[in-house]
Amino acid sequence: MKRRFLSILLAGCLAASLTACGGTKEESAAPADSGDSASGEPILLGTISPNTGNLAAYGTAIMNGVNLAVEEINAAGGVLGSQIQVINADDQGDPTECMNAFNSLVSQGVGLIIGSVTSSCTSAITDSANEEEVVLTSPSSTADSITTEDDYVFRACYADSFQGAIAAAYAKQAGYAKVGVVYCAADTYSKGLYDSFSAACEKYGVEVAAVESTASMDVQDYTNQFASMVNAGVELVYAPYYYDVIGPYLVTQARAASYTGIIMGADGYDGAPSYVVEGADLTAFNGVYWTNHYDPADESALVQNFVKAFQDKYGEIPMAMSALAYDCVYMYKTAMEAAGSADPAAVRDAMADNSLTYECVTGTFTLDESGTPVKGATIVFFASEGSEVTTTLVDVVKELPEA
Amino acid sequence: MSTFIQTLAVGLRLGSIYALVALGYTMVYGIIRLINFAHGDFIMVGGYTMIFTVPMATALGLPAWAAVLAAIVVCALVGMGTELIAYRPVRKKGTNMTALITAIAMSLFLENLAQAIPAIGPNPKVASQIFAAGGLRIAGVTLEYTTLLTIAISAVVMVVLYEFTQKTRLGRAMRCVSEDKEAATLMGINVNHTILSTFAIGSGLAAVAALMYMAQYPKIYTTMGSLLGLKAFVAAVLGGIGIIPGAVLGGVVIGLVESFTTSYISSSMADAFVFLILIVVLILKPAGIMGKNVGEKV
Repeated sequence: MKRRFLSILLAGCLAASLTACGGTKEESAAPADSGDSASGEPILLGTISPNTGNLAAYGTAIMNGVNLAVEEINAAGGVLGSQIQVINADDQGDPTECMNAFNSLVSQGVGLIIGSVTSSCTSAITDSANEEEVVLTSPSSTADSITTEDDYVFRACYADSFQGAIAAAYAKQAGYAKVGVVYCAADTYSKGLYDSFSAACEKYGVEVAAVESTASMDVQDYTNQFASMVNAGVELVYAPYYYDVIGPYLVTQARAASYTGIIMGADGYDGAPSYVVEGADLTAFNGVYWTNHYDPADESALVQNFVKAFQDKYGEIPMAMSALAYDCVYMYKTAMEAAGSADPAAVRDAMADNSLTYECVTGTFTLDESGTPVKGATIVFFASEGSEVTTTLVDVVKELPEA
Repeated sequence: MSTFIQTLAVGLRLGSIYALVALGYTMVYGIIRLINFAHGDFIMVGGYTMIFTVPMATALGLPAWAAVLAAIVVCALVGMGTELIAYRPVRKKGTNMTALITAIAMSLFLENLAQAIPAIGPNPKVASQIFAAGGLRIAGVTLEYTTLLTIAISAVVMVVLYEFTQKTRLGRAMRCVSEDKEAATLMGINVNHTILSTFAIGSGLAAVAALMYMAQYPKIYTTMGSLLGLKAFVAAVLGGIGIIPGAVLGGVVIGLVESFTTSYISSSMADAFVFLILIVVLILKPAGIMGKNVGEKV
């Protein structure tokens, strides 16, 4: 009897762990009961984001951005008379899970997808999106390889060839002749940024004097890598990683290894100040520069309305990730209205028409032939007097300077 | 020269953590011949417990590390719970293989359970500063006090555990159970009780390992135990699994290999070398560095 009880308990526990995996998939943004006068059928909008796992902060940011945009659109009567219904799938920041999430959305009849966040996840599903003829717009996958031709894949962010080059141009302008790189060779995002940064350095005549890498994005010790940067005598190190490494590990360890120069990064640094060690000496974060997609303090009405609406709803300043996700929804709205239909093929054709202009929070832009926006980047830096890390704008770069 | 010392310092820092974790693996294996794959996740449990108890300890005016006491209790309870709910029933019915699979299942279960608890959730959490920063300066390189402390704790734990298994009544009972369960029962040893105590001690050690891990690598996330546990397991096997001093030796060796590979060979090959070393050692000395080759008793 006792044994039977235990086995039932164990089975119960296993069942609980199953729901723990599957429970993250949820349907949000109530379907259309207000838009009853219209065709009735809601437009299904799928999102794929890392709601769990190391990059879960991105998942939350994406969902907040998408939900805000969809609520606004639905409240104003929807698109083409139909309400938008969001179906979210979790990819845990893992390419295999991303494929599963994609298949699950397609099997639910979704034809328009926003996702995924990281370049390594998105590159796992771009081929399938073309095969299934599903429109895929990534809010934030910056790797060049994500979209190289005129197909079903688009994005709301600039590509790494631009982002890495901005960093190289900054190094040149700020007068650094010798720079170093610490990156992860096994990650699409990190490797892509390293490639474009070093190519641009060559163009601008900046010498990449030292290159070190890590085996994965989960490595916890960067001391040796930065010690060799110190030995190479470089004063600017380009380190394309995500916030979960920058906040707790990389910056503090670099300073502990006596590296005092500039640490330069990319949009993955957004959110790092929430992941710093409380009680530690945060002055280590002085001299950390990174490139981002927008500046929340921008005075344009679009940005200010978005930041205000977001703050009213969620009580925080939106990360760039939320702004990009919000933009993705409006990109689809613009494209659907231009196409006069929510049919995936028609929406694709509208987005592939490079003359369509999108007025978005992260800039007013058109898409190039590959489906990547033509827009600028912001350069920001972290500053700290000890107990808190703040972010300050350095510059807004519209286009790359000449060599 | 300074590169060498720096690399050594990083190697010791990683190694001291692996050593502490490996002690828990080796202890449980030594007694019940079970590779407790969930041990890495006990460290995660300890880590999250301290995320909550460190602020409490500071609020009460205690030093931050005092939070480990609560974590030891929680980890010991989780360890004993695992033994009672999963391992013991499976051990009664099945073979060593089923027990091993159960251990892997427990590991995945704990990771997913942690994600499902709202207070923990899937987001990584960052710990507060636990020990004051600072360290010894040697040839321009800082060897952090936290690292030295971790090594000292590993050494103390190693000696205490060793003496415990040799000298105390419970320790002797553990060794008896490890040698022959049936005979131990006949000698009046309560086998179930002894195994439960082993789990309590082994899991309590996981909490101490979690404290030292957090002090040096302050990010806690639900899957942190998997690779950490795997490397510590490699360390335990390398040193000779079941042999208490072997775990510490294995841990330090693995840490040094990882660090020196990063500095001198290729920074992206560190993990590959760790596992390569394991294979080489197992070919040359199947019982591990400190292990004795004893034929299987029939």
